Amino acid sequence: MRNRVRHLLLPLLLVTKLCGYGLLFGQAISIPYEKLATYHSDVSEVRLVFFATDEQHHAVQGLQKTDFAVVDNERVIRDFRSFTRPAAIKLDVIVLFDSSDSVLPHFKQEITEVLQLVSQWPWGPEDDVSVLSFGGTEAHSVCAGDCRSSFTADRVASVPTGGSTPLFDALDTAASLLTKRRQPDVWPVIALFSDGDDTISKASFKRAMEKTLTSEAQVYTIDVGNVGQPSNGAAMLQEIADESGGRYVRIREGAARIFTDVIDDLHSARVVTYALPESGSDFHSTRILPTHNLNWQFRCRRGYYYRSDIAH
Amino acid sequence: MKRALSLIFLFCSLPGLLAAQIGVYQHGSVVRMHMGECIPAGHGFMVAFGGPSNSIGPESCPEYTLVSDNVVFVIVGKLSNSLIPLAQTIEFRFHKNELAVRVDDAKHETKFAIKEMMVRSEWDRLQRHIDEKMRASDDHEPEVRSR
Repeated sequence: MRNRVRHLLLPLLLVTKLCGYGLLFGQAISIPYEKLATYHSDVSEVRLVFFATDEQHHAVQGLQKTDFAVVDNERVIRDFRSFTRPAAIKLDVIVLFDSSDSVLPHFKQEITEVLQLVSQWPWGPEDDVSVLSFGGTEAHSVCAGDCRSSFTADRVASVPTGGSTPLFDALDTAASLLTKRRQPDVWPVIALFSDGDDTISKASFKRAMEKTLTSEAQVYTIDVGNVGQPSNGAAMLQEIADESGGRYVRIREGAARIFTDVIDDLHSARVVTYALPESGSDFHSTRILPTHNLNWQFRCRRGYYYRSDIAH
Repeated sequence: MKRALSLIFLFCSLPGLLAAQIGVYQHGSVVRMHMGECIPAGHGFMVAFGGPSNSIGPESCPEYTLVSDNVVFVIVGKLSNSLIPLAQTIEFRFHKNELAVRVDDAKHETKFAIKEMMVRSEWDRLQRHIDEKMRASDDHEPEVRSR
């Protein structure tokens, strides 16, 4: 008897249940379209490219994610979402060279190095290289994307020279270009040839660095100023390189040194991602420190800007 | 010469070795770090009650928030390069009104001035309060977020 009741009740319950779901679906469908079309996106992840070197300044081989911690706006982060070695990176390089009055005594040497850099770099087939000059009041595009073939001595001859030094404006322009065409598997790099003395920019150093950090580009600064004389310009170039996680070199070290630096970095780069830590400010300072071997040095950009109203 | 060097090394590492062996080390985790002002000689929480310490230059010094089971310490390095390895757990002990932190497995210790101390439960409560405040301010911002 009990079994018979169960046999009758079970299909009845099933039908009721299905009808119930039907009603629920019906209710869902009756929700206004605007409400259904509301998407909540929470991509709160920080991605840091960094380089680790030992006491002899050699890249640390076999680095593990337990070997370092990130300090993000003072918070120590050891819990990472991912830790990888970027594979097959394409380069998007912008070479910025100073053509203002202050560098004219060394302009020939500067141009030789820039030409050498562009022509002798071991470019990959998908790498992009653009060249911009800056002098007077703004940056001028010399060639864009295809400079491997189109950047020639003739082209350089047509570059306007002299005038003031809009260094920060030029950095701002280059960073904006890189941000516009940013793709996850492309490494943005800026090679900046200058004496570091800005004289006319509309953009401040802070704004130029904000744009640079947003573009995630490493800036390799090449000091074309007078060798052996400590200057504000040299300090500025050092600061730009350090802030962005790039490197500073003097022009006498030549284009070959820049190749070596960038290629070393390409081979030794690591990428770490972690959840965005809560903070009361837009700017997050970043630093990577060792968890056990204090002789290891970690280089990365010194911060990033997070704005809840801007996706970058 | 070798023997003399060995003796000097033994002498230097003895306090650390002894401390490790008799288990006086406490365990804690560094949760915050920033470069801040160095503590001038004769200032600070414990420094004020302690003896004179080495003079400190005008440069910035690392400041750490070290959380142990019962107490939270804010400690300041004496030099800009007085760094603590940021391992999950570090070992430390009190040493003459300062905190001696074991820097690595080489039994080496670095001493830090104690700037602040707080009972852990009180610190936890304060952190919860700060987090809630931040979450509340986040709720008022637009939904789309990115890095």
